[in-house]
Amino acid sequence: MTAIMEAAPPVTSAQPRQSWAAVVALAGFEGRRLLLRVPVLLALAVYAFWIVWHTRDSFDGFPALQDADRSTQGAPLLVALAVMVCVNQSVLRSRRRDTERHFAVLVLQPGRRTAAHVLSVLPATAVVAACVAVQFTWEALKPGAIGTGSPGELLVGPLSVLLFGAIGVLVARLAPSAVAVPLMVVFFLFLFVFGASPALSDDWTRWLYPVVGESSANILPSDLLGRPAAWHALYLAGLALSVALLAVLIGGARKGVAGTALAGALALTVVGGVGQAAGLSDETAAARVRASVTPEKEQTCVERGRSTYCAFPEWTPRVATWAGVVDHVQSLSGGTAKGQQLLVRQRIEARYGLDSDAAVFPLSTPHQVTVGTAWGGNRVPEFSVGVASVLIAGNEKAVGEMCDGRMVTVMWTALAWESDPVAALRRVRLDDSVTGSATVLAPTESLSMTAGQTEVVRQLLEQPRDAVAAKVKARWAELTDPKVTTGRAAQLLGVAVPKGADKCDG
Amino acid sequence: MRRLSGVPAVWRALTPPVCRTVPWRALAAGGALGLLLAGMPRMVDGLNDDFYALNLLRAAALAFALSLAFLLDDPARHTTAAVPTPRPARQALRVALVAPVAALWWTAALLLVPAEVRPPTGDITLEAAATLVLTLAASATALRFAQEAEPGTAVAAGLLLTAALTMVLVPDRWAMFVYMKDEGWAASHDRWAMVLAMAVLVWGVCGPEPLRRRVRPVPSGA
Repeated sequence: MTAIMEAAPPVTSAQPRQSWAAVVALAGFEGRRLLLRVPVLLALAVYAFWIVWHTRDSFDGFPALQDADRSTQGAPLLVALAVMVCVNQSVLRSRRRDTERHFAVLVLQPGRRTAAHVLSVLPATAVVAACVAVQFTWEALKPGAIGTGSPGELLVGPLSVLLFGAIGVLVARLAPSAVAVPLMVVFFLFLFVFGASPALSDDWTRWLYPVVGESSANILPSDLLGRPAAWHALYLAGLALSVALLAVLIGGARKGVAGTALAGALALTVVGGVGQAAGLSDETAAARVRASVTPEKEQTCVERGRSTYCAFPEWTPRVATWAGVVDHVQSLSGGTAKGQQLLVRQRIEARYGLDSDAAVFPLSTPHQVTVGTAWGGNRVPEFSVGVASVLIAGNEKAVGEMCDGRMVTVMWTALAWESDPVAALRRVRLDDSVTGSATVLAPTESLSMTAGQTEVVRQLLEQPRDAVAAKVKARWAELTDPKVTTGRAAQLLGVAVPKGADKCDG
Repeated sequence: MRRLSGVPAVWRALTPPVCRTVPWRALAAGGALGLLLAGMPRMVDGLNDDFYALNLLRAAALAFALSLAFLLDDPARHTTAAVPTPRPARQALRVALVAPVAALWWTAALLLVPAEVRPPTGDITLEAAATLVLTLAASATALRFAQEAEPGTAVAAGLLLTAALTMVLVPDRWAMFVYMKDEGWAASHDRWAMVLAMAVLVWGVCGPEPLRRRVRPVPSGA
């Protein structure tokens, strides 16, 4: 008896370390099981499939990384909800299988077991973090990528998995019933699908949601975004930590240590919450006004060939692509337009931030073409139309009033260089048609085509390019005369003259 | 020992114990959340339009369906497999006990939605009925093909996953969750009717105890 009493002290002194080793071992075991649960596996499979399907042709191959980082946030929520359900079921397993009594005699106290369950979410979080990294790296490696991503935005996906995993453990300790978490998921699903709607939230409360989307597709320079991404990541981390520590505390951990840690985590949450609620800073608001009103003071200009290209610093790698389009259009033009010096300037409307898609007004400055921040897809023929119309009409403001035979030349020079010009014509028209009248999109003011002009342009685009180009260059002066009619242009270019006079209805 | 003669006597004898095994607390929780969701258009100003009302009713039906996933759980299933009253009869009794409650609950949920934003009653009821019967069919399938006595947890998780994936993945051609002013509304309800019919069929097929059972150790799964 005394021998045992004497032998006891070294065991108790060694116990804490062993017990933490047991926590880690249990966490590893539970983490592995969690990753292999059917709902989590399925959610991860769908998530991985979505990444591949989405990123293959997202942003038309020309992502701005300050937007690409945000697009990694929504999909992990599916994994997060699956993890929440499954981790909750793992915590409740001992009740369901009635093994709670056996655990009661083990050295691992309930508080530590809860901690192990919280830690078991980490492998799933790591998998999601890896998926986010893959998705963002893929975007960043695309040849057309520009801008910079924000670590705060990238952390949101993994942190929401951590948060929902912790919620799953907490609910298992608060309401040990298998039905509680599935019912919460219904509620969360509803919150996520509709939570970002402006009906439910004004400016600062929407930042309380884990994932905060934006309603606008406007692409802004990264320093004008005005999103408190870092504060939000801090808030999410604090919240996840608070929920996890609360679960551990309720699970039966020693009050002192866990309580202090919980207070620290809550403080972190509050700091993050206050930081993200601060709203738009005055500097950002002023920078947005400067970028919208006087972009020339913010931009760097590059000479390429005959023309000058001015862009916000993040977009300068894209100048070569723009210059390619300008060269194509000018090579199909004749007269003075062929050698005309252009000023291509990037212009944005940043004063309303990401709340709305504001249009950029047309300029009356001669030979200045506007280019937007988006590129790829339909933006290419739109810019091409912008270049061709300024070359022929002189400035952007005059383009809107153009309603005569010059439209034929504008559309042909804008689109003929494309590999599939008729498809480009379809894309650049608002209603995606190639017959009848329609509105044509351009970087600033839209143009309108009559049914007759559409007919002539389509015939020209279907003919071999070089033959038409020779005719266009030979008759350039007549074709770009403001008094030319569509019928006359068709005659000059040798295609069937459409019936009916020019009548613009745009 | 007195033999229970005739079918009504068996039902009378069975009703009280079966009534005790119905998971009333889970049903109450699911029903309460459902009513809370259905009542939101009245409580929150921004949600008072037909789009939110429609989807809130769907969420309410899903909440109730989740609690219904536990209805067929029977911890004593391995013992009761040998009793003379077959499993479909016992399951039918449970469902019969819950059906009036469910009907009452759904009526209340519908009435909670203001009349001017309420979706077409027949169509949305079809959706709810299909969801609930699908849940029961899934439970019956789990009971039929697994040795698990209480598959409710897994069925609930599966139902949630199905709902989420149907929302995210199903292409527009076969969309199930359609806005009532879209043209696909009628076609989607043909599909809902089909889901309901299939669920009834599957439930019917999976109801009886299997005559032969593969004997293998009970898996120690979660």
